[in-house]
Amino acid sequence: MDKKKGVDDTEPGPAPSRPVDRFGFIKTEHSNSPEGILKSRSTHEHEREERRIRKWRKMIGVGGSDWKHYVRRKPHVVKRRIRKGIPDCLRGLVWQLISGSRDLLLMNPGVYETLVIYETSSSELEIIRDISRTFPSHIFFQQRHGPGQRSLYNVLKAYSVYDRDVGYVQGMGFIAGLLLLYMSEEDAFWLIVALLKGAVHSPMEGLYQAGLPLVQQYLCQFEKLVTEHMPKLGQHFQDEMINPSMYASQWFITVFSYSFPFHLTLRVWDVFLYEGIKVVFQVGLALLRFCHDDLVNLPFEQLLHSLRNFPEEATDPDTLLPLAFSFKVSSRLVELDKEYRKKLEGPSASSSSKRFQPLKSRVMSRASSHVSSSPNVSKK
Amino acid sequence: MARRAAAWEQGGDEYDYLFKIVLIGDSGVGKSNLLSRFTKNTFSLDSKSTIGVEFATRTIEVEGKTIKAQIWDTAGQERYRAITSAYYRGAVGALLVYDVTKGATFDNVKRWLKELRDHADSNIVIMLIGNKMDLKHLRSVAQEDAASFAEREGLSFIETSALDATNVDRAFQTVLGEIYRIISKKALSTDDSGAGAVKEGQSIQVSAGDSSSVSSRCCSF
Repeated sequence: MDKKKGVDDTEPGPAPSRPVDRFGFIKTEHSNSPEGILKSRSTHEHEREERRIRKWRKMIGVGGSDWKHYVRRKPHVVKRRIRKGIPDCLRGLVWQLISGSRDLLLMNPGVYETLVIYETSSSELEIIRDISRTFPSHIFFQQRHGPGQRSLYNVLKAYSVYDRDVGYVQGMGFIAGLLLLYMSEEDAFWLIVALLKGAVHSPMEGLYQAGLPLVQQYLCQFEKLVTEHMPKLGQHFQDEMINPSMYASQWFITVFSYSFPFHLTLRVWDVFLYEGIKVVFQVGLALLRFCHDDLVNLPFEQLLHSLRNFPEEATDPDTLLPLAFSFKVSSRLVELDKEYRKKLEGPSASSSSKRFQPLKSRVMSRASSHVSSSPNVSKK
Repeated sequence: MARRAAAWEQGGDEYDYLFKIVLIGDSGVGKSNLLSRFTKNTFSLDSKSTIGVEFATRTIEVEGKTIKAQIWDTAGQERYRAITSAYYRGAVGALLVYDVTKGATFDNVKRWLKELRDHADSNIVIMLIGNKMDLKHLRSVAQEDAASFAEREGLSFIETSALDATNVDRAFQTVLGEIYRIISKKALSTDDSGAGAVKEGQSIQVSAGDSSSVSSRCCSF
């Protein structure tokens, strides 16, 4: 009953006592945060969580010292545990380990500082304009010119200098914001570099480059997968003239960090950083499968509305993720990727196929040579 | 005659005409808030930037006809035009928004017009909207300048405030009314079959044209 009082107390204004959920998002009356679930956790569950954290600590070692060894020895254990969710207190560290960003950071001391302090970016105004429009309901990013907003600005500006081809694109802020809730500015910066330049998985810079080529490709692949896995729904989409750019662009551009419940976003990111972009396809398919029987009966407008407002049951990670993993998409994605690029690029396909391989060494050398020669100049 | 729309009544919503409208303009000028003010009568000071496209509808009466506006709100950043320009096709109206407190967003109106000329139907009805007129002390684009620019370019023009709701309904009403008048005139002269007539069944083809253009670009293999 006391809780209720707290929830009702959401007057506008920057009162520091405004109730927030366990992730720091300011509660609204219709807040779909998992707080309720959390409150009802039994001591049994609490103990289980403690055991889980101990297992994870052992796996990681002090400051991540045992991690690589463990992953080499037992990759399937790691995969299974990550799919169950990384303990929140270790998330920031593990994300840096599995994304390869920790290595980039160690190999490039001082680079981030240089980018932030000494370089200027033509995207500065664009970045500033969006700062207050990124996770506006999170306590860390709410205060105008507060530490959250400043960090967000610094990371985005640094990246826009680091890769002037990409610069700043709307949507990147949500990724940077998410990371900043779990790590320092510099760590967040290198994690973005690791993702976009492809330290472990395929580079994702195509999501943000001129023409948004990778967004177009992913949407196209997603449409194919929907038709293959859910022919009836695929046909219905076609009949109603719904295409994935109408609802799924933000799934890919922000890797589910734009408009989904935060506890789902985190669980998706755990898997995404370890297994790669395929989980975005899988989660997308799972959302559609979960609501399949409703969706196939809806006409255009209601359909579009439903595709942008999934019910709370659908976004529970413990239901949605197992369903997502039941979609086997890896090999089909590779085929579709080849088909797409063949179609798109014809004879010049070989030159750009670079973009789609994990190129750890290339990133490293580019990153480390940054200060003397900008990486954005020394391309292709 | 109005009841000919019966086939398109879905979920109890009936209309004589369905018009597809796009909201365009630089990032941060208030497009999403204009849309939410018009369709839900809400405004949010701390709204997120739009990623990709958003969609909403509202049905209004124009000269005794029920007109449903199907409005696509687009991300304003230039890079996003790769996705958003596909939505111009089939649109019969465009609201081109700038921010009266930011001169640069008004300077860019020319580029947006070019964008429409390149991607939209040539007879699309365009309205220029100067939003955030409530911020009087910050104004940097004079109303007269915008009005004379609009006149030169053959656009309608209005200033609005999504925050205090000034002129928002009027802006949409004006565009929808203009489209209606053009179409009803056309229907008279071409006996309902002319291109650009978006009456009843044909209105659905408006979105058909759009969808197929989107998917043929990305997914034709």
